[in-house]
Amino acid sequence: MNVQDALLEKLQEFFRDSKVYEFMNRDVICVTPDKTLLHVKEIMRIKRISGVPVVDDGKRVIGIVSLEDIIKALEGNYIRESVEKRMTKNVVSLHENDTLQDALKAFEKYGYGRFPVVDDENKLVGIVTKHDIIYFLLTKLGLIYLHDRRMEEVLERSTSLVTGEALERGKADFVFHIDYFDVNKIGIGAARLKRFLMEKGLDEELVRRVAIATYEAEANVVIHSGSDGYIYCFLDDEKIAVRVEDRGKGIENIELAMKEGYSTAPDHIRELGFGAGMGLPNMKRYSDRMVIISEVGKGVVVELMFFRREKDENKGDR
Amino acid sequence: MVLTIEEIREVVEGVILCDDNNVNIERAMASDLMSDVLAFAEPGIMLITGLHSPQVIRTALVVGIPVVLMVRKIDVPESVIDFAKESGVTLIATKLSMFETCGRLYMRGIKPARREME
Repeated sequence: MNVQDALLEKLQEFFRDSKVYEFMNRDVICVTPDKTLLHVKEIMRIKRISGVPVVDDGKRVIGIVSLEDIIKALEGNYIRESVEKRMTKNVVSLHENDTLQDALKAFEKYGYGRFPVVDDENKLVGIVTKHDIIYFLLTKLGLIYLHDRRMEEVLERSTSLVTGEALERGKADFVFHIDYFDVNKIGIGAARLKRFLMEKGLDEELVRRVAIATYEAEANVVIHSGSDGYIYCFLDDEKIAVRVEDRGKGIENIELAMKEGYSTAPDHIRELGFGAGMGLPNMKRYSDRMVIISEVGKGVVVELMFFRREKDENKGDR
Repeated sequence: MVLTIEEIREVVEGVILCDDNNVNIERAMASDLMSDVLAFAEPGIMLITGLHSPQVIRTALVVGIPVVLMVRKIDVPESVIDFAKESGVTLIATKLSMFETCGRLYMRGIKPARREME
Protein backbone atom coordinates (compact mmCIF):
# COMPACT_ATOMS: atom_id res chain seq x y z
CA MET A 1 0.00 0.00 0.00
CA ASN A 2 1.49 3.32 -0.91
CA VAL A 3 1.54 6.39 1.29
CA GLN A 4 -1.39 7.98 -0.48
CA ASP A 5 -3.60 4.97 0.10
CA ALA A 6 -2.54 4.60 3.71
CA LEU A 7 -3.30 8.22 4.37
CA LEU A 8 -6.69 7.96 2.71
CA GLU A 9 -7.63 4.92 4.71
CA LYS A 10 -6.82 6.67 7.95
CA LEU A 11 -8.68 9.83 7.12
CA GLN A 12 -11.75 8.49 5.42
CA GLU A 13 -13.52 7.31 8.54
CA PHE A 14 -13.89 10.88 9.75
CA PHE A 15 -15.23 12.24 6.52
CA ARG A 16 -16.92 9.31 4.86
CA ASP A 17 -20.23 11.16 4.56
CA SER A 18 -18.80 14.17 2.79
CA LYS A 19 -20.32 14.57 -0.65
CA VAL A 20 -18.44 14.31 -3.90
CA TYR A 21 -19.40 17.86 -4.88
CA GLU A 22 -17.48 19.10 -1.84
CA PHE A 23 -14.16 17.80 -3.05
CA MET A 24 -14.44 17.33 -6.80
CA ASN A 25 -12.47 19.55 -9.11
CA ARG A 26 -15.00 21.75 -10.86
CA ASP A 27 -12.62 23.03 -13.46
CA VAL A 28 -12.84 19.85 -15.41
CA ILE A 29 -11.36 19.80 -18.88
CA CYS A 30 -13.32 17.75 -21.41
CA VAL A 31 -13.36 17.15 -25.17
CA THR A 32 -15.99 16.43 -27.79
CA PRO A 33 -15.82 13.11 -29.69
CA ASP A 34 -14.93 14.70 -33.03
CA LYS A 35 -11.45 15.72 -31.80
CA THR A 36 -8.39 13.57 -32.53
CA LEU A 37 -6.36 11.66 -29.96
CA LEU A 38 -3.44 13.88 -30.92
CA HIS A 39 -5.50 16.85 -29.81
CA VAL A 40 -6.20 15.13 -26.47
CA LYS A 41 -2.52 14.31 -26.06
CA GLU A 42 -1.70 18.01 -26.42
CA ILE A 43 -4.32 18.98 -23.87
CA MET A 44 -2.88 16.44 -21.45
CA ARG A 45 0.61 17.73 -22.01
CA ILE A 46 -0.25 21.38 -21.64
CA LYS A 47 -2.64 21.01 -18.72
CA ARG A 48 -0.59 18.24 -17.16
CA ILE A 49 -3.55 15.97 -16.60
CA SER A 50 -3.82 12.26 -17.09
CA GLY A 51 -7.38 11.76 -18.24
CA VAL A 52 -10.02 13.68 -20.17
CA PRO A 53 -13.76 12.94 -20.19
CA VAL A 54 -15.54 13.01 -23.55
CA VAL A 55 -18.92 14.77 -23.68
CA ASP A 56 -21.68 15.22 -26.26
CA ASP A 57 -23.43 18.46 -27.14
CA GLY A 58 -25.53 18.28 -24.00
CA LYS A 59 -22.37 17.91 -21.84
CA ARG A 60 -23.35 14.34 -21.06
CA VAL A 61 -20.43 11.99 -20.48
CA ILE A 62 -20.07 9.46 -23.28
CA GLY A 63 -16.49 8.34 -22.85
CA ILE A 64 -13.08 9.01 -21.41
CA VAL A 65 -9.53 9.10 -22.75
CA SER A 66 -6.76 8.24 -20.34
CA LEU A 67 -3.02 8.52 -20.61
CA GLU A 68 -2.96 4.79 -21.14
CA ASP A 69 -5.22 5.16 -24.19
CA ILE A 70 -2.79 7.72 -25.58
CA ILE A 71 0.21 5.47 -25.05
CA LYS A 72 -1.62 2.64 -26.81
CA ALA A 73 -2.49 5.01 -29.65
CA LEU A 74 1.14 6.01 -30.03
CA GLU A 75 2.27 2.39 -30.01
CA GLY A 76 -0.49 1.32 -32.37
CA ASN A 77 0.10 4.30 -34.60
CA TYR A 78 -3.48 5.59 -34.57
CA ILE A 79 -2.93 8.84 -32.68
CA ARG A 80 -4.53 10.85 -35.49
CA GLU A 81 -7.81 9.00 -35.29
CA SER A 82 -10.89 10.47 -33.69
CA VAL A 83 -11.65 10.33 -30.02
CA GLU A 84 -15.01 8.79 -30.74
CA LYS A 85 -13.42 5.74 -32.32
CA ARG A 86 -10.88 5.02 -29.62
CA MET A 87 -12.20 6.39 -26.34
CA THR A 88 -13.18 4.11 -23.47
CA LYS A 89 -16.94 4.00 -23.79
CA ASN A 90 -18.18 2.30 -20.65
CA VAL A 91 -17.26 5.13 -18.31
CA VAL A 92 -17.73 4.76 -14.61
CA SER A 93 -18.92 8.08 -13.22
CA LEU A 94 -19.66 9.30 -9.75
CA HIS A 95 -22.76 11.30 -8.92
CA GLU A 96 -22.19 14.66 -7.27
CA ASN A 97 -24.23 13.51 -4.28
CA ASP A 98 -22.25 10.31 -3.77
CA THR A 99 -20.23 10.21 -0.58
CA LEU A 100 -16.52 10.13 0.01
CA GLN A 101 -16.90 6.49 0.92
CA ASP A 102 -18.57 5.74 -2.42
CA ALA A 103 -15.75 7.49 -4.20
CA LEU A 104 -13.06 5.56 -2.39
CA LYS A 105 -14.84 2.31 -3.10
CA ALA A 106 -14.89 3.20 -6.78
CA PHE A 107 -11.15 3.84 -6.74
CA GLU A 108 -10.59 0.53 -5.04
CA LYS A 109 -12.94 -1.45 -7.25
CA TYR A 110 -11.96 -0.13 -10.66
CA GLY A 111 -8.40 1.00 -10.09
CA TYR A 112 -8.88 4.03 -12.31
CA GLY A 113 -7.01 7.23 -11.65
CA ARG A 114 -10.01 9.52 -11.99
CA PHE A 115 -13.78 9.54 -12.15
CA PRO A 116 -15.95 12.07 -13.94
CA VAL A 117 -18.69 13.49 -11.73
CA VAL A 118 -22.20 13.98 -13.11
CA ASP A 119 -25.45 15.52 -11.94
CA ASP A 120 -28.99 14.12 -12.13
CA GLU A 121 -29.14 14.73 -15.86
CA ASN A 122 -25.88 12.88 -16.36
CA LYS A 123 -24.15 16.12 -17.22
CA LEU A 124 -20.46 16.52 -16.43
CA VAL A 125 -19.97 18.79 -13.41
CA GLY A 126 -16.51 17.82 -12.18
CA ILE A 127 -13.79 15.24 -11.89
CA VAL A 128 -12.27 13.46 -8.92
CA THR A 129 -8.78 12.08 -8.45
CA LYS A 130 -7.25 10.69 -5.27
CA HIS A 131 -5.35 13.90 -5.11
CA ASP A 132 -8.59 15.87 -4.87
CA ILE A 133 -9.68 13.73 -1.96
CA ILE A 134 -6.40 14.11 -0.12
CA TYR A 135 -6.47 17.84 -0.76
CA PHE A 136 -9.99 17.99 0.65
CA LEU A 137 -9.18 15.92 3.72
CA LEU A 138 -6.04 17.82 4.58
CA THR A 139 -7.90 21.07 4.20
CA LYS A 140 -10.52 19.77 6.59
CA LEU A 141 -7.79 18.88 8.99
CA GLY A 142 -6.56 22.41 8.93
CA LEU A 143 -3.28 22.29 7.13
CA ILE A 144 -2.24 21.54 3.67
CA TYR A 145 0.95 21.39 1.77
CA LEU A 146 0.52 21.69 -1.93
CA HIS A 147 3.38 21.61 -4.32
CA ASP A 148 2.09 21.01 -7.74
CA ARG A 149 0.45 22.32 -10.84
CA ARG A 150 -2.56 23.45 -8.86
CA MET A 151 -0.54 26.23 -7.38
CA GLU A 152 -1.34 28.38 -10.36
CA GLU A 153 -5.05 27.66 -10.25
CA VAL A 154 -5.14 28.50 -6.59
CA LEU A 155 -3.32 31.74 -7.18
CA GLU A 156 -5.89 32.77 -9.71
CA ARG A 157 -8.83 31.44 -7.79
CA SER A 158 -10.69 33.69 -5.45
CA THR A 159 -12.25 31.02 -3.29
CA SER A 160 -11.13 30.30 0.21
CA LEU A 161 -8.70 27.44 0.45
CA VAL A 162 -10.11 26.60 3.84
CA THR A 163 -13.85 26.88 3.42
CA GLY A 164 -14.28 27.01 -0.34
CA GLU A 165 -16.36 30.18 -0.14
CA ALA A 166 -15.68 33.21 -2.25
CA LEU A 167 -12.92 35.49 -1.02
CA GLU A 168 -12.75 37.96 -3.83
CA ARG A 169 -9.80 40.22 -3.56
CA GLY A 170 -11.86 43.20 -4.66
CA LYS A 171 -14.28 42.64 -1.81
CA ALA A 172 -11.75 42.33 0.97
CA ASP A 173 -12.53 44.38 4.07
CA PHE A 174 -8.87 45.22 4.40
CA VAL A 175 -6.09 45.29 1.84
CA PHE A 176 -2.45 46.07 2.38
CA HIS A 177 0.15 46.09 -0.33
CA ILE A 178 3.50 44.84 0.96
CA ASP A 179 5.43 47.03 -1.44
CA TYR A 180 8.68 47.42 0.46
CA PHE A 181 11.79 45.29 0.79
CA ASP A 182 13.19 46.86 3.95
CA VAL A 183 13.32 44.37 6.80
CA ASN A 184 12.94 47.21 9.28
CA LYS A 185 9.49 47.92 7.97
CA ILE A 186 8.16 44.43 8.57
CA GLY A 187 4.94 44.51 10.50
CA ILE A 188 3.52 47.71 9.08
CA GLY A 189 0.74 45.78 7.44
CA ALA A 190 0.06 43.66 10.52
CA ALA A 191 -0.02 46.74 12.73
CA ARG A 192 -2.50 48.42 10.38
CA LEU A 193 -4.64 45.34 10.29
CA LYS A 194 -4.57 45.23 14.07
CA ARG A 195 -5.76 48.82 14.29
CA PHE A 196 -8.43 48.18 11.69
CA LEU A 197 -9.78 45.18 13.61
CA MET A 198 -9.65 47.00 16.95
CA GLU A 199 -11.67 49.82 15.44
CA LYS A 200 -14.24 47.24 14.40
CA GLY A 201 -14.61 46.45 18.09
CA LEU A 202 -13.41 42.88 17.86
CA ASP A 203 -12.17 40.96 20.87
CA GLU A 204 -8.67 42.10 21.78
CA GLU A 205 -7.19 38.65 22.26
CA LEU A 206 -8.55 37.52 18.91
CA VAL A 207 -7.16 40.60 17.20
CA ARG A 208 -3.82 39.93 18.81
CA ARG A 209 -3.72 36.42 17.39
CA VAL A 210 -4.60 37.74 13.94
CA ALA A 211 -1.96 40.45 14.16
CA ILE A 212 0.81 38.08 15.24
CA ALA A 213 0.11 35.49 12.58
CA THR A 214 -0.17 38.18 9.92
CA TYR A 215 3.07 39.74 11.09
CA GLU A 216 4.86 36.44 10.52
CA ALA A 217 3.32 36.05 7.10
CA GLU A 218 4.30 39.59 6.20
CA ALA A 219 7.86 38.96 7.40
CA ASN A 220 8.06 35.93 5.16
CA VAL A 221 7.04 37.93 2.13
CA VAL A 222 9.65 40.59 2.82
CA ILE A 223 12.49 38.28 3.80
CA HIS A 224 11.97 35.31 1.54
CA SER A 225 9.80 36.05 -1.46
CA GLY A 226 11.96 38.56 -3.29
CA SER A 227 8.72 40.07 -4.55
CA ASP A 228 5.99 42.31 -3.27
CA GLY A 229 2.84 40.87 -1.78
CA TYR A 230 -0.64 41.55 -0.49
CA ILE A 231 -2.49 41.12 2.76
CA TYR A 232 -6.24 40.65 2.42
CA CYS A 233 -8.62 40.38 5.32
CA PHE A 234 -12.23 39.26 5.13
CA LEU A 235 -14.62 39.60 8.03
CA ASP A 236 -17.93 38.01 8.78
CA ASP A 237 -19.89 37.18 11.90
CA GLU A 238 -18.17 33.88 12.45
CA LYS A 239 -14.60 34.40 11.48
CA ILE A 240 -11.72 36.47 10.25
CA ALA A 241 -9.93 35.24 7.16
CA VAL A 242 -6.51 36.58 6.28
CA ARG A 243 -4.83 35.82 3.02
CA VAL A 244 -1.23 36.80 2.42
CA GLU A 245 0.18 36.17 -1.00
CA ASP A 246 3.22 36.86 -3.07
CA ARG A 247 4.53 35.94 -6.48
CA GLY A 248 8.07 35.33 -5.38
CA LYS A 249 10.48 32.49 -4.96
CA GLY A 250 8.18 30.02 -3.25
CA ILE A 251 9.05 27.51 -0.58
CA GLU A 252 11.34 24.68 -1.54
CA ASN A 253 10.41 22.31 1.22
CA ILE A 254 7.30 23.17 3.18
CA GLU A 255 7.66 20.32 5.63
CA LEU A 256 11.08 21.55 6.61
CA ALA A 257 9.85 25.13 6.73
CA MET A 258 7.12 24.11 9.16
CA LYS A 259 9.70 22.79 11.62
CA GLU A 260 10.40 25.09 14.52
CA GLY A 261 13.92 26.43 14.31
CA TYR A 262 14.40 25.75 10.63
CA SER A 263 15.16 28.84 8.62
CA THR A 264 16.70 29.75 5.32
CA ALA A 265 17.16 33.39 6.31
CA PRO A 266 20.64 34.81 5.69
CA ASP A 267 22.81 36.12 8.55
CA HIS A 268 22.12 39.80 7.98
CA ILE A 269 18.43 39.07 8.46
CA ARG A 270 19.08 37.03 11.59
CA GLU A 271 21.01 39.93 13.06
CA LEU A 272 17.83 41.96 12.87
CA GLY A 273 16.00 39.47 15.01
CA PHE A 274 14.40 37.44 12.29
CA GLY A 275 15.06 34.04 10.85
CA ALA A 276 14.46 32.16 14.07
CA GLY A 277 12.61 29.55 12.12
CA MET A 278 9.38 30.25 13.95
CA GLY A 279 7.42 31.97 11.19
CA LEU A 280 5.22 29.19 9.88
CA PRO A 281 4.97 27.43 13.25
CA ASN A 282 3.84 30.71 14.82
CA MET A 283 1.22 31.22 12.15
CA LYS A 284 -0.11 27.77 12.80
CA ARG A 285 0.03 28.27 16.54
CA TYR A 286 -2.04 31.43 16.49
CA SER A 287 -4.58 30.60 13.80
CA ASP A 288 -7.45 28.15 13.94
CA ARG A 289 -6.90 26.97 10.40
CA MET A 290 -3.97 27.49 8.16
CA VAL A 291 -3.47 26.56 4.57
CA ILE A 292 -0.24 27.20 2.79
CA ILE A 293 0.34 26.64 -0.84
CA SER A 294 3.59 27.07 -2.61
CA GLU A 295 5.69 26.02 -5.49
CA VAL A 296 9.24 27.00 -6.21
CA GLY A 297 9.25 30.05 -8.44
CA LYS A 298 5.52 30.62 -8.18
CA GLY A 299 5.16 32.33 -4.85
CA VAL A 300 3.31 31.51 -1.67
CA VAL A 301 -0.28 31.84 -0.59
CA VAL A 302 -1.05 31.61 3.09
CA GLU A 303 -4.61 31.59 4.24
CA LEU A 304 -5.27 31.99 7.93
CA MET A 305 -8.65 31.51 9.54
CA PHE A 306 -9.60 32.76 12.98
CA PHE A 307 -12.93 31.88 14.50
CA ARG A 308 -14.80 34.47 16.49
CA ARG A 309 -15.87 32.85 19.70
CA GLU A 310 -16.93 33.83 23.15
CA LYS A 311 -14.05 35.21 25.17
CA ASP A 312 -13.87 32.44 27.72
CA GLU A 313 -13.68 29.68 25.15
CA ASN A 314 -10.26 28.34 24.35
CA LYS A 315 -8.90 27.36 21.00
CA GLY A 316 -10.78 24.28 19.95
CA ASP A 317 -7.83 22.00 19.44
CA ARG A 318 -5.98 22.72 22.66
CA MET B 1 6.58 42.52 42.87
CA VAL B 2 5.56 45.36 40.59
CA LEU B 3 7.93 48.07 39.45
CA THR B 4 7.13 51.48 38.02
CA ILE B 5 8.92 52.74 34.94
CA GLU B 6 11.00 55.05 37.11
CA GLU B 7 11.98 52.19 39.42
CA ILE B 8 13.04 50.10 36.44
CA ARG B 9 15.14 52.97 35.12
CA GLU B 10 16.82 53.23 38.49
CA VAL B 11 17.55 49.51 38.74
CA VAL B 12 19.23 49.41 35.33
CA GLU B 13 20.79 52.87 35.60
CA GLY B 14 19.17 53.74 32.31
CA VAL B 15 17.30 56.54 30.64
CA ILE B 16 13.65 56.84 29.81
CA LEU B 17 13.47 57.79 26.15
CA CYS B 18 9.73 58.13 26.09
CA ASP B 19 6.96 57.20 28.44
CA ASP B 20 3.39 57.70 27.49
CA ASN B 21 1.53 54.98 29.26
CA ASN B 22 3.07 55.00 32.72
CA VAL B 23 2.31 51.34 33.40
CA ASN B 24 3.66 49.13 36.13
CA ILE B 25 5.61 46.06 35.22
CA GLU B 26 5.37 42.68 36.88
CA ARG B 27 6.73 40.35 34.22
CA ALA B 28 9.32 40.51 31.49
CA MET B 29 10.92 38.52 28.73
CA ALA B 30 14.32 38.94 27.10
CA SER B 31 14.93 38.08 23.49
CA ASP B 32 16.55 39.28 20.32
CA LEU B 33 14.38 37.09 18.19
CA MET B 34 11.16 38.70 17.04
CA SER B 35 9.54 35.37 16.37
CA ASP B 36 10.25 34.31 19.94
CA VAL B 37 8.55 37.43 21.14
CA LEU B 38 5.57 36.73 18.93
CA ALA B 39 5.41 33.13 20.04
CA PHE B 40 5.81 33.51 23.75
CA ALA B 41 5.20 37.03 24.97
CA GLU B 42 2.05 37.73 26.90
CA PRO B 43 0.46 41.15 26.65
CA GLY B 44 1.35 43.70 29.30
CA ILE B 45 4.92 42.55 29.91
CA MET B 46 8.20 44.36 29.39
CA LEU B 47 10.44 43.26 26.54
CA ILE B 48 14.18 43.40 27.15
CA THR B 49 16.18 43.27 23.94
CA GLY B 50 19.57 43.94 22.43
CA LEU B 51 18.02 45.14 19.19
CA HIS B 52 17.68 48.84 18.56
CA SER B 53 15.53 48.80 15.45
CA PRO B 54 12.03 50.15 14.82
CA GLN B 55 11.16 46.53 14.32
CA VAL B 56 11.16 45.94 18.03
CA ILE B 57 8.59 48.66 18.54
CA ARG B 58 6.39 47.27 15.82
CA THR B 59 6.58 43.81 17.32
CA ALA B 60 5.69 45.23 20.73
CA LEU B 61 2.73 46.94 19.16
CA VAL B 62 1.48 43.80 17.54
CA VAL B 63 1.86 41.66 20.66
CA GLY B 64 0.57 44.29 23.06
CA ILE B 65 3.81 44.92 24.93
CA PRO B 66 3.68 48.37 26.59
CA VAL B 67 7.34 48.71 27.63
CA VAL B 68 10.58 47.99 25.77
CA LEU B 69 13.95 48.07 27.47
CA MET B 70 16.91 48.24 25.11
CA VAL B 71 20.26 47.08 26.48
CA ARG B 72 23.96 47.73 25.80
CA LYS B 73 23.62 51.32 24.63
CA ILE B 74 21.55 54.38 25.28
CA ASP B 75 22.02 56.27 22.03
CA VAL B 76 18.98 54.74 20.39
CA PRO B 77 18.29 56.13 16.90
CA GLU B 78 15.98 59.13 16.94
CA SER B 79 13.66 57.45 14.43
CA VAL B 80 13.12 54.56 16.81
CA ILE B 81 12.30 56.88 19.70
CA ASP B 82 9.88 58.82 17.51
CA PHE B 83 8.23 55.64 16.42
CA ALA B 84 7.88 54.47 20.02
CA LYS B 85 6.27 57.82 20.89
CA GLU B 86 3.87 57.54 17.99
CA SER B 87 3.01 53.99 18.94
CA GLY B 88 2.50 54.71 22.60
CA VAL B 89 5.23 52.28 23.61
CA THR B 90 7.38 53.23 26.60
CA LEU B 91 11.06 53.04 25.72
CA ILE B 92 13.91 52.69 28.19
CA ALA B 93 17.59 52.21 27.36
CA THR B 94 20.53 51.08 29.46
CA LYS B 95 24.26 50.66 28.97
CA LEU B 96 24.22 47.44 30.96
CA SER B 97 24.56 44.11 29.20
CA MET B 98 21.55 41.87 28.64
CA PHE B 99 22.78 39.52 31.36
CA GLU B 100 23.24 42.19 33.99
CA THR B 101 20.00 43.93 33.09
CA CYS B 102 18.03 40.74 33.50
CA GLY B 103 19.91 39.80 36.65
CA ARG B 104 19.24 43.09 38.36
CA LEU B 105 15.58 43.12 37.47
CA TYR B 106 15.16 39.54 38.53
CA MET B 107 16.75 40.33 41.89
CA ARG B 108 14.22 43.11 42.30
CA GLY B 109 11.37 40.68 41.84
CA ILE B 110 10.43 40.98 38.18
CA LYS B 111 9.01 37.62 37.13
CA PRO B 112 9.39 35.83 33.83
CA ALA B 113 6.59 36.08 31.28
CA ARG B 114 4.31 33.11 31.24
CA ARG B 115 4.77 31.19 28.04
CA GLU B 116 1.23 31.14 26.94
CA MET B 117 1.04 28.40 24.38
CA GLU B 118 3.20 25.37 24.72
